[in-house]
Amino acid sequence: MTRTLPTPHLASASAACCWIPLFALRCETARRPELAASPQPGALLSPEDPRRLWQVSPLARHAGVKPGMTVSQAIGLCAALKLYEPDPVHYDEQFARLLAALAHVSPVVEPAELGLAYVGTDGLEGLYGTPERIVEAIKCGVRSAECGISMQGHAPRHSPINSAFRTQHSALRVGVGRGKFVSWVAATRARPGEAVIVHPGEEGKFLFSQPLAVLPLDPDTHRRLRQLGLKTLGHLAALPEDAIVSQFGRAGRRLWRLAAGLTAEPVIGRPTPEPITATLTFFSPVAERELLAHALDQLVVRALRDPRRSGWRVQVVRARAELEYGASWLVEATLKDPTADRERVAAPLKTRLEQAPPVGAVERLAVEFTAFAPGTAELQLFARDASAAARAGRRRALTSAVQEIKLRLKRSYLYHVIEVQPWSRLPERRYALIDYEP
Amino acid sequence: MNPSAECGVRNRTDRLRALNVQQRVEVELDADGMPVVVKREVGNGKRVESTGESWRIDDEWWRAPVHRRYVEAILEGGKRVVLFEDLVSGGWWMQKP
Repeated sequence: MTRTLPTPHLASASAACCWIPLFALRCETARRPELAASPQPGALLSPEDPRRLWQVSPLARHAGVKPGMTVSQAIGLCAALKLYEPDPVHYDEQFARLLAALAHVSPVVEPAELGLAYVGTDGLEGLYGTPERIVEAIKCGVRSAECGISMQGHAPRHSPINSAFRTQHSALRVGVGRGKFVSWVAATRARPGEAVIVHPGEEGKFLFSQPLAVLPLDPDTHRRLRQLGLKTLGHLAALPEDAIVSQFGRAGRRLWRLAAGLTAEPVIGRPTPEPITATLTFFSPVAERELLAHALDQLVVRALRDPRRSGWRVQVVRARAELEYGASWLVEATLKDPTADRERVAAPLKTRLEQAPPVGAVERLAVEFTAFAPGTAELQLFARDASAAARAGRRRALTSAVQEIKLRLKRSYLYHVIEVQPWSRLPERRYALIDYEP
Repeated sequence: MNPSAECGVRNRTDRLRALNVQQRVEVELDADGMPVVVKREVGNGKRVESTGESWRIDDEWWRAPVHRRYVEAILEGGKRVVLFEDLVSGGWWMQKP
């Protein structure tokens, strides 16, 4: 796949880290209004291994349930635990919405992982003013993605219209500082809905007392550092750089420089593609709808094949036609779920063609993609591959089937088989059925 | 005592349903104490065509002790089952192998 390389002007040394912990779980909670009314311990099953937990709600964590536990262990600790099937494509779509909202605050946005993105803030003071005001602009943008409320004044035409990952209170934590690391550490220190701002020159002082755990460490290095009696970044930075390098090699140098506040990794944004257009001029004017629908299909395919589209899903598609005698025809569709699938892109255009066809014969027809959302494959956050997307598709089909069964029979009558005490000598204790509630 | 009643799985939470729950059966024994006819609550009894391995489980002495004698059996018609005698209550139960 062609990958667009970042251009130098889409980099920013100063960064705002936007972090929504437990993003996937929040997406689930947001689309189940009944959970908001009566909060209960919940957990998402791992997409890689459905016998294990992936994300765990604070209430469940309070009961001793932890990510990575088996379902049977978790149920043993918390009988009321509610389990959710993961829907990675949905989470990616919601995260894409969040990124799109942030892109209206700054052109430099770098997704890091699900629920975590960096916003380049270089030059934003000219637009918004102080760092506090920049944070407010970011919060406002994220709120629009959370609540579906367009930002007045500079609202995107295709702003999200549905609640995506909104919960009772905003969970967004913002950290502002020089470089991604400082901003990330600041975000981890911020309370939900609030921000921590590290002003230029204060990085060393801010990092000094932070725990080692904020560094990107593997467990072995973390253990070795603790065995050396190092607990904070200040302890690490106080040691000679050469000593750390001799112990931990190149990774040690990076850690030391991060701890000392000497490394400021810039935020690297991605250029958004310009509108993509595919046109077709007919030899003689065409009025047959079937022929026009076929032509729309072909133009959508051509536009999708444009290399600039690679890594992006189409959000707004438009069809234009020049008619005989100087008239014209224009239809536009905003796709609720951005896609790169030919049929899904072409479908709304063909529907409009049926409902409101051109008033004359068409001489020239064009299909134009005018807005894009980051592609799932490009994000590579969660639904990394086709098989994950296929699994998610199967889950959606299953969810729909369950809803149908519930509608007819009042309950789903579907169950998961889970291990309870697989080691037990008593056969009836080894496995159990649990209600399947997608 | 009904073994399913003391089975912790169902009691842990109403949301869980144990799999392979045992069924109460009446059993006629031969002189060696091995089952020869198995009768469920409904229907006629089924003759035991052959018996296989037999073993005993004594467990959970620290709470409600479990003492069982298991017998693998093939019923007439070829169905393979596991029968066990609850040595506390004296009742017989049938499970899937």
